[in-house]
Amino acid sequence: MTKHPMKLVTIICEALAREPLRTLLGEVGAHGYTLFTVEGSGAEGQRTADIEAFANIQVEVIVPAAVAEQLMARLEREFFSRFGMVVYEGDVAVLRGGKF
Amino acid sequence: MDMLDAIRANLLSPAVLFFVLGVVAALVKSDLKFPEALYVTLTIYLLTAIGFKGGVAISEAGLGVVWAPALAAMALGALIPLWSYPVLRYAGRLPAVDAAAIAAHYGSVSAVTFIAATNFLIQINQPYESYATAFLAVMESPAIIIGILLGKAAGSGRGSIWGPAARLALREAVFGRSVLLLVGGLIIGALSGQSGMAKVEGFFVTPFQGVLALFLLEMGMLAARRLEDLKKVGLFLLGFGVAAPLVHGVLGLVAGRLVGLSLGGATLLGVLASSASYIAAPAAMRLSLPEARPTLYLTAALAITFPFNIAFGIPIYYAIARWLYGAP
Repeated sequence: MTKHPMKLVTIICEALAREPLRTLLGEVGAHGYTLFTVEGSGAEGQRTADIEAFANIQVEVIVPAAVAEQLMARLEREFFSRFGMVVYEGDVAVLRGGKF
Repeated sequence: MDMLDAIRANLLSPAVLFFVLGVVAALVKSDLKFPEALYVTLTIYLLTAIGFKGGVAISEAGLGVVWAPALAAMALGALIPLWSYPVLRYAGRLPAVDAAAIAAHYGSVSAVTFIAATNFLIQINQPYESYATAFLAVMESPAIIIGILLGKAAGSGRGSIWGPAARLALREAVFGRSVLLLVGGLIIGALSGQSGMAKVEGFFVTPFQGVLALFLLEMGMLAARRLEDLKKVGLFLLGFGVAAPLVHGVLGLVAGRLVGLSLGGATLLGVLASSASYIAAPAAMRLSLPEARPTLYLTAALAITFPFNIAFGIPIYYAIARWLYGAP
């Protein structure tokens, strides 16, 4: 068993950012992602998830460090002024490094 | 029937009482909560049912009768933001982009308010043109487009009206779920006509009132959860949230009378003109005018204008329509 170091980038944002975010993930070369609807509260008040448009989504994407760097830079530059958003990355180790 | 009778009849209908129950549930922080899937299901049901019913009415009345009032409805929707914007901007001293976003909300329409109004008319045995659903379908988008243009003219967001963000917002406004279901339902209803109606009546017509009551229960909770934000929007917007629907409602009634609608049909056009969008418009504004504050436009549309119309606006417009038509 071989483990490969990767970055896990987590993005929690308005559900409205879904399509632009999907496009961006494709552009920076992410090979896949996981998306789920979440609720919680933060700087913009409480976000209940009973209406899709008022909900938050959480997107998790595992990518090589260079892609994570590019993804986060573009999120900061192009998305932060338009959408309520929290972004963080963490180190993870994956099996089958080629998948990412 | 005078205004007080109309208001009383409206307040005692199951739909409005369930709306009040929803408000109470949210205020006492009850654990009652609709799963998102149910909310979406009820929305799809209501929009499809009302679209289909309207389409059948078009097949009966003929397109020739529908186009003139539909055009008037569309023009009304597009014009409302043009005078709401300067009022919000100069009388309300709001930033240009906020004024543009709020103006778009008030020009666009609320399907639930419209449906509640048809429910009210049925309850008091007031006939109306069922094809009025077509007005609902054509009034959602024009104001959103005007609002985006106003906001972009005021310099919001990088990029022009043709930028990717605005394009995405426009696509949502024109091909979003509600317009798609309404227009689709209208076409299917018009094609299948009265014989088609006979096949689906048991599903789309008979349970309609119950579904609406259940949906308004959820809407009561949704609106009441926004009540906290009332403190943040200021007195001007609070007043605007009640005055704008009254003024627009009367304009809609007059327009309805001019294009030859019946008393019931004019009431519906008045309700449409008075209502403010709280689903399609917020989504479009968030995408195209990100600097506009959702607290302002969403609170005004959802926590002020929507409950006002559901409880008082609908019977008030009806009473004014009766006066306008010289009904006894």
